[in-house]
Amino acid sequence: MPGPLDGVRVFDLTLWMVGPWASLQLGALGADVVHIEQPGVDWGTLGAGVPPLINGTSAGYITWNMNKRGLFLDLKSPEDRQTAYELLQTCDVFLINMRPGAAERMGVGYEQVKAVNPNIIYTAVTGWGEVGPMRDAPGADPQCQYFTGFWSVSGHRGGRGEVYRHFTQLDGSTGNATAQAVLMALIARKRTGEGQRIHVGMVRAGMALQSHRIAEYLATGAAHQPLGSAGFAAAPDQAFQCQHGDWIGVAATSEDEWQRLCVAMVESEAEGDALSGLDADSRFSRNLDRVANRDALSAILQQAFIQRPRHYWMLRLSEAGVPCGYPMSFDTLQQHAQVIENGYIQQVLTSGWGNVWTGGPPWEFSRTPARLFGTPQPGEHTGDILDELTQRRVSADESAPVIGG
Amino acid sequence: MPGPLDGVRVIEIAEGVAGPYTAMSLGDAGADVIKIEPPSGDRSRGWSPQTSAGASVTFQSLNRSKRGVVLDWSSGDDIETARRLLASADVAVVDKYALPARLNWDAIGNAGLVYCALSGFGPHGPWRNRPESELAAQLASEATASLGWLGEEPVRHGADIGSMYAANYAIQAICAALYARDDSDPSAPTGGQRIDVSLFGSLLAMRSTLWVALSNPDEWWGFHLDSYVKPPDHGYQCRDLPIYFSVARVDVDRFDALLDELGMEWARELPAEELQRLRTDGAGGTGRYAHELKKYWERGFANHDAAEVIEIVERYGCWAFPMHDYERLTEDPQVAAVAAVLAVEQSDGTMLRQVAPPWDFEGTPVEVNRSAPQLGEHQSEVLNELNA
Repeated sequence: MPGPLDGVRVFDLTLWMVGPWASLQLGALGADVVHIEQPGVDWGTLGAGVPPLINGTSAGYITWNMNKRGLFLDLKSPEDRQTAYELLQTCDVFLINMRPGAAERMGVGYEQVKAVNPNIIYTAVTGWGEVGPMRDAPGADPQCQYFTGFWSVSGHRGGRGEVYRHFTQLDGSTGNATAQAVLMALIARKRTGEGQRIHVGMVRAGMALQSHRIAEYLATGAAHQPLGSAGFAAAPDQAFQCQHGDWIGVAATSEDEWQRLCVAMVESEAEGDALSGLDADSRFSRNLDRVANRDALSAILQQAFIQRPRHYWMLRLSEAGVPCGYPMSFDTLQQHAQVIENGYIQQVLTSGWGNVWTGGPPWEFSRTPARLFGTPQPGEHTGDILDELTQRRVSADESAPVIGG
Repeated sequence: MPGPLDGVRVIEIAEGVAGPYTAMSLGDAGADVIKIEPPSGDRSRGWSPQTSAGASVTFQSLNRSKRGVVLDWSSGDDIETARRLLASADVAVVDKYALPARLNWDAIGNAGLVYCALSGFGPHGPWRNRPESELAAQLASEATASLGWLGEEPVRHGADIGSMYAANYAIQAICAALYARDDSDPSAPTGGQRIDVSLFGSLLAMRSTLWVALSNPDEWWGFHLDSYVKPPDHGYQCRDLPIYFSVARVDVDRFDALLDELGMEWARELPAEELQRLRTDGAGGTGRYAHELKKYWERGFANHDAAEVIEIVERYGCWAFPMHDYERLTEDPQVAAVAAVLAVEQSDGTMLRQVAPPWDFEGTPVEVNRSAPQLGEHQSEVLNELNA
């Protein structure tokens, strides 16, 4: 069974991460994504050449361009531009992430593409938006993290906010929001028969990712003070240190989970003055009380957790239905049954870079499964795609009515 | 002009962050969303902080664009009502927090239904029945390895990224499945299906770049992999505020002039290797030696306000940005220009400011005008429609 976007074709004029991440999703969902590169492009410059490299290509480029076919097109050449227009007639979606105005200069602005294919879903992705004083500023993940306050809600308890050091998360989130917009526009087109122009910018996508945190500031006027492992909204919802120094994360975000945690703590028979009276302690009656008395609660629980190994607590709390977990790293995840059985990390063969590990599709569809296949080399499918266009031209000629026949 | 999902009906049986944000986004995009809560309400109604009117801000900001009903799963009649609502729907958004087993996918019997189940760890494997938790998912997926110090108390990302990533993927999957459905008979679509999305799987997918980077055993260094071993990064403190910057693109022959303008003439006396790194490593937190070099830049920046440093750095063809907290962010002219914040009128007439959805649709523009429901606010309206 093909994927849900079987039959959808995407003209993918994207670069760096944010645009490619959007088309990566569409390809996994079954769309035929044709990723455009400049003929003769230096592989060392792909994905901005950011290390680490595999066979001379940035690991980022290899990650962000899976599930696609590769086509060389030089949009500055009149001949290739005609090929682009011919290809665009067969496409449902056009995707570009360049600064405002760049598409028009290459002959692929909305009006130009619409003239070729009136029902296309024309998708522009920008950093800062299409209006405003910063519209032309350079924008990528790091800049967007700093600007949107993504750093301001994480950090050691009592310390300053800190940057999330894996600089891909707002690129990815914006790409994901872009894929959402494309899908919604495809649904609207199914209903109305009409394409449209859509736009997603990193600032708004980055802020949407922080929707409730930003709303909390807007409602209260109070800045968030980082809490280490603890969550802002509920308590207890934090990591505790167990015997031998291992960390366990424990969360009771409903009254029901809190009651279950209280029972489990008593059953553990860990020693502690206040432990057996937790569920009756007026400082901890409701979540808002527990948040207000977070430090006192945390101290009581920490005193108990340090008395038993983590494995003991994982079993005890899991049995009681209290959410819990612990830190793992790639070498563990790679071989972990939970990862393997859900296909969340997989090895995939690429034609230019051998076998690489990557994240599997994050969705499971019961009827129209998603897919994962290796990154094309730049231009790898140019011959196939040009042949398809030739074939289309030939069959269009053959099916044309014979004049005077 | 209605939004892109006009005509789509969604039933939400979910709590907390992931399910509610998924359904709210569909509602923002024009779907008719009905949220079913138990008599005790969505757990997030009890979360901190609360508005002066005693409503949870999290709840209010993740449940707009919905109508709300209350159903009690201990009542057979209410289970039957939920079944009928699901039979009338195009989409169900459910999670383990909230869903009774009797309303599971197999039991509904709506051939066109797109049924999206959110979980902590995924539908298969030894952890499939573990209760979902933002913290547990962040820890298990090593999302916390990009904050704090490895081995010390983990630092979580405070914006609940596991739940939000899962929601973003759930929105994609729901829309893809709606697109794949056969709507040739609009009154009885077919080709619905079950979708599973988890917090764990979504966090792992968002770290794919690292998994590819870790595939090459000959390369243990480089931008993406540095994230594991670098120390906590608070940006570059100027006299007043922190900034982030890069001078990687400055012309070599203008580098000394840049140092002079920043009052960093002393840097020329640094050991040759350090000065060379200062010239070439670019700072911005992204260079290999960024944190070793930070003390030099901050010594220079201590004599300037952030705005001055940004102006100087930009003049040399490089970039620098303010590190906004939410106060400075929501006051920034660019944020106003792109209309990232909207105000939603609450049922008591007050306005609550929230973040706008991220998409611009020129043909089917999105309008947000319904505040989060009070518990059971639309009970009679929804049930009357169902019985009509």
